[in-house]
Amino acid sequence: MSSAVPMLEVKGLAKRFPPRSGQAESPWILADLSFHVADQEFLTMVGPSGAGKSTLLNIIAQVDGANEGKIFFRGELIETANGSALHPGWNCQFGYVTQDDNLLPWRTMIDNVTLPLKLQGRFDAAARKRVDELLHATHLTGFERYYPHELSGGMRKRASLIRTLAYDPPIILMDEPFSAVDAQTRTQLQQDLLRLWNLGRKTIVFVTHDIAEAIALGDRVLVLSKSPAKIVADHRIDIKRPRDLGNLYKLEGFGDIFESVRRDLQ
Amino acid sequence: MTLAATGPWSGVYTKRSLVPVGRLAVGIALIVVWQLGTNTMGREWLPSPLDTLARIWQLAASGELARDTLVTFGEAAAGLILGGAAGAVLPFILRLSPRLMTALDPLISAAFGMPKLALAPLFILWFGIGITTKVVFVASIVFFLLFYNGLAGILSIDPRLVAMLRVAGASEWVITREIVWNTTKPFLFSGLKIALPRALSGAVVGEFIAADAGLGWYIQNARSLNDTTGVLAGAVIVTVLVMVVNAILQRVQARSLAWRPIARDMTV
Ligand SMILES: Nc1ncnc2c1ncn2[C@@H]1O[C@H](COP(=O)(O)OP(=O)(O)O)[C@@H](O)[C@H]1O
Ligand SMILES: [Mg+2]
Repeated sequence: MSSAVPMLEVKGLAKRFPPRSGQAESPWILADLSFHVADQEFLTMVGPSGAGKSTLLNIIAQVDGANEGKIFFRGELIETANGSALHPGWNCQFGYVTQDDNLLPWRTMIDNVTLPLKLQGRFDAAARKRVDELLHATHLTGFERYYPHELSGGMRKRASLIRTLAYDPPIILMDEPFSAVDAQTRTQLQQDLLRLWNLGRKTIVFVTHDIAEAIALGDRVLVLSKSPAKIVADHRIDIKRPRDLGNLYKLEGFGDIFESVRRDLQ
Repeated sequence: MTLAATGPWSGVYTKRSLVPVGRLAVGIALIVVWQLGTNTMGREWLPSPLDTLARIWQLAASGELARDTLVTFGEAAAGLILGGAAGAVLPFILRLSPRLMTALDPLISAAFGMPKLALAPLFILWFGIGITTKVVFVASIVFFLLFYNGLAGILSIDPRLVAMLRVAGASEWVITREIVWNTTKPFLFSGLKIALPRALSGAVVGEFIAADAGLGWYIQNARSLNDTTGVLAGAVIVTVLVMVVNAILQRVQARSLAWRPIARDMTV
């Protein structure tokens, strides 16, 4: 599965925000952060809240710039610090499911979901069918004409998830996409995500503060330290797929990995 | 009235149907107070509602009402369109250049603070006593109302939505059309709501100063003849005009902001 050139490579990334007026220097949020993701890999990153996970994904998605470091996509340098202009999403190669659902409040759910496809001029019959399948898989069928404020938090979250899945970018960045939903729905969504990932075999970088979630979903778990974030451990998860997420502790080896990740986080 | 009848669980249907009844009651009360005022002050000082209505009828029959209303309405509309369009578009341009925004800010504030009425003699000198002067006068009032409301809209744009849409492949034009426009629209409607009556009263005031037609001219003319009934009739016509235009705006606004959770019942 691992080819010579990684899908995504992050090298020596460092980030600090501009100092607030009146303050001398702001602290480093990321410092010398390096990792890579293989093609079709499901990488999860777990770190305490405030570690800089969202900041990291913003930089990879080129929504924000870094102070130091480089990012490569399929071996090609796509982002350098403090220099070139940002290209958010790198020409639709990077999908980004942000921590907030960021649905457009003035558009119906279905318009929100199909908007990227329309912007990219790819809303054809095949895309329509795909959207229908995704709506069905996430139990959103029948709510197409609802505005975001008329949907529950979990439904909004699912809509924002399939908005990205629908246009099928090669890499998808996910920022705690399930943190705001109740435990029952979360397990369902995780299961859905794994099934969809297995169908399409995307490369996923999934960030969370939830250890169990990171292990349950990932091929590999990177453990981030407190800010400034560094990678303190790299666990390969060999738990067989498909995994039954309703019963994590029955999964072979889950308990041991959980314990060692918990220790890494301290 | 008991608490239950006014509490949140009282029937929506009953509450809604009470609104027009309440309005009618207030209207009748105002007319009664007006008539009482006439009785105490005398007809020369405050013409009675019936006399005023008779005058309006007479103006309508002679065609003067239509002619003067059309002139005033035309001036207000032209000024509203010119000043409003300029005021609404400028914030969109300034968004693309923060430097231009900082450069223009003190200039616009100063121009906003300048009393437009004080400039009236200059306007007359430049544009004569015809329609143009009133159009410019109205535009100079309306411009700022839409500009500052539009600017408030631009400043309230959610940068996370912009980032999300950029990642999904949106061009700068799409961002403007989709996010900037939709975020700013309710603000522009609020601006319009204030600007509409101001535009009409601006045209009327402009006609006080220099005109040969229009409702303001009619009022001014009646005043110089000590015709209080004419003054009051003119004022009532202007008020009704404002109410009609406001009602139309409200319809349009409710339709185009249907997505908002509160827009449908909001009247502010
Ligand atoms: N725009 C910003 N300006 C200044 N500081 C920021 C900004 N965004 C995030 N931070 C800081 O960066 C740190 C990491 O934030 P974040 O990346 O959101 O953490 P996480 O997603 O891991 O919870 C926090 O201390 C936060 O205060
Ligand atoms: Mg975060």
